[in-house]
Amino acid sequence: MEWLNIVIRTTFLENMVLAYFLGMCSYLAISRQISAAFGLGLAVIFVETLTVPLNWVLKKYFLDPGALAWLHPAFAQVDVSFLTFLVYIATIASAVQLVEMVVERFFPALYNALGIFLPLITVNCAILGASLFMNERDYTFGESVAFGFGAGLGFFLAIVLLASIRYKIRYSHVVAPLRGLGIAFILTALLGIAFLSFAGIQL
Amino acid sequence: MDAPRRPWIHRVVNRLTRPLWNMLQRVKKPFLPGGRLHRLYPLYEAIETFLFQPPLTTPRSGGVHIRAGNDLKRLMITVVIALIPPTLFGIWNIGHQFYVAQGQWVGLTEGFLPKVLKGLEVFLPMLIVSYAVGGTIEVLFAIIRRHPVSEGFLVTGLLIPLIMPPTIPLWILAIATAFAVIFGKEIFGGTGMNVVNTALLARAFVFFAYPTVISGDAVWVVPPVDGFTKATPLAAAVISGADALSGREYAPYGFSDLFWGWIPGSIGETCKPAILLGALLLLATGVASWRIMLGMLLGGAFMAWLFNIVGGTPLMQVPWTYHLVMGGFLFGLVYMATDPVTAATTNPGKWIYGFLAGAFAMIIRVVNPAYPEGVMLAILLMNVTAPLIDYLVLRFYVRRRLTYG
Repeated sequence: MEWLNIVIRTTFLENMVLAYFLGMCSYLAISRQISAAFGLGLAVIFVETLTVPLNWVLKKYFLDPGALAWLHPAFAQVDVSFLTFLVYIATIASAVQLVEMVVERFFPALYNALGIFLPLITVNCAILGASLFMNERDYTFGESVAFGFGAGLGFFLAIVLLASIRYKIRYSHVVAPLRGLGIAFILTALLGIAFLSFAGIQL
Repeated sequence: MDAPRRPWIHRVVNRLTRPLWNMLQRVKKPFLPGGRLHRLYPLYEAIETFLFQPPLTTPRSGGVHIRAGNDLKRLMITVVIALIPPTLFGIWNIGHQFYVAQGQWVGLTEGFLPKVLKGLEVFLPMLIVSYAVGGTIEVLFAIIRRHPVSEGFLVTGLLIPLIMPPTIPLWILAIATAFAVIFGKEIFGGTGMNVVNTALLARAFVFFAYPTVISGDAVWVVPPVDGFTKATPLAAAVISGADALSGREYAPYGFSDLFWGWIPGSIGETCKPAILLGALLLLATGVASWRIMLGMLLGGAFMAWLFNIVGGTPLMQVPWTYHLVMGGFLFGLVYMATDPVTAATTNPGKWIYGFLAGAFAMIIRVVNPAYPEGVMLAILLMNVTAPLIDYLVLRFYVRRRLTYG
């Protein structure tokens, strides 16, 4: 039940994109095509569900102050938490590599549509952000799985919604200077207002 | 083929309006291409087509099989007409609440004229501000971008004051209207291109930017003295549930009071018979979708009924029948959710859209303690979801065609 709460909260209330405005670059760039948005959303769900628990394990048994004591009692004083960012990014990069290979092998059309943005998930701040939030909030292992999945689902929902709206307004007579990226930013703001309806819900 | 003989009423109206038509034609010349005032043509066109039939029609010889006397302009005017009953009641109700708060003319039939005058004193400035600000922006965009001015704003401009509390400061109303018209509609290209309902965006803007003027207990009645407070039925129900409505503490909020609407609230939302009258017109003319209305009613009733079974907080125990007549649910259902531009456009999509809007309205209202009025946010949320629903429905159609050949 606690896990379900976390999934709902991170998907709707604390949406990575619409509440924290993380992961904007791929969110805005890939939302031109609904099918590509679906693909990227699924990839982000996969990567986040994988990396957040993985990073949790690394944090628990490697990064936390004194976490290395399980190797040898002499390591109880060692604190390698200054490596946190490096380790998290390395985990994410390898997970993304995995996704990239799978997508290239089995969904070549999607691979071409995503282009450079698939490897760039590595530096997608929504994904590093999820790991860092996990770091801050002292989740248990189960909660970190739920959190990773919820964060990915939130990104998926946001990007698919934006893509479908952009698909709908493709023939709209948008003010010339705002065509493309500008109107996408304004749509993001409108989506953010709509998602504010969940703000303040206590679960 | 002879043109069919027009009914006598047409001929009478024609004869009567002929001088006006002639006058319009006389002043038309400078607005035409090459004329001095050509840039202002949208303004001229707006006036001409507001008063008379638009000159652009499909020729009879064009092989068109479906002909209707309807177009965007008549569509929008129908909504304005449908909004008249709640508006009139709202005007009276402003005055009624004002005098009841003073303990004067408590009876419903007493002091009709002063109540209406008081209501007009409050409502007319709001209407003028909303029309003036929004209309100016719309006309400016129309002139610069050379698109026709449409009656769409007549609807939005009337809806905006109707969904505000009567005490809202006019400058906030002006800012909200300007924000909604510019960022909700005009930058997308004007009427018919917007993604979210413009009037709702104005309300949401006020709700999040100036929460104190649109929530709490002090804003729903024009205060006879400073610091006067009176809770809406919804706010009362948050605290004490169905007890508040049975008339113990906040008399007299019974079901019939909620239904007939002599209660504090946003101006247009209180009187349910007036709203139903408008709904009848919208449904009879086919302007609003009955699928969305029915879907939203079912969604709201189902969700409220579900909460009745769970029954944790006071608001969950409020019977589902009350939920349907409380707050802006019915108003949003009839006038907001059915906005043909922002709603889903496929038929199954309309059912899903309506049902989810109703369900979300109840969820936000009951589960989220910060926002007892969930209807506005639920419809906004569904506005941004509608394109996705349509897309999925179309995908489903395509796939079915492919499967069955």
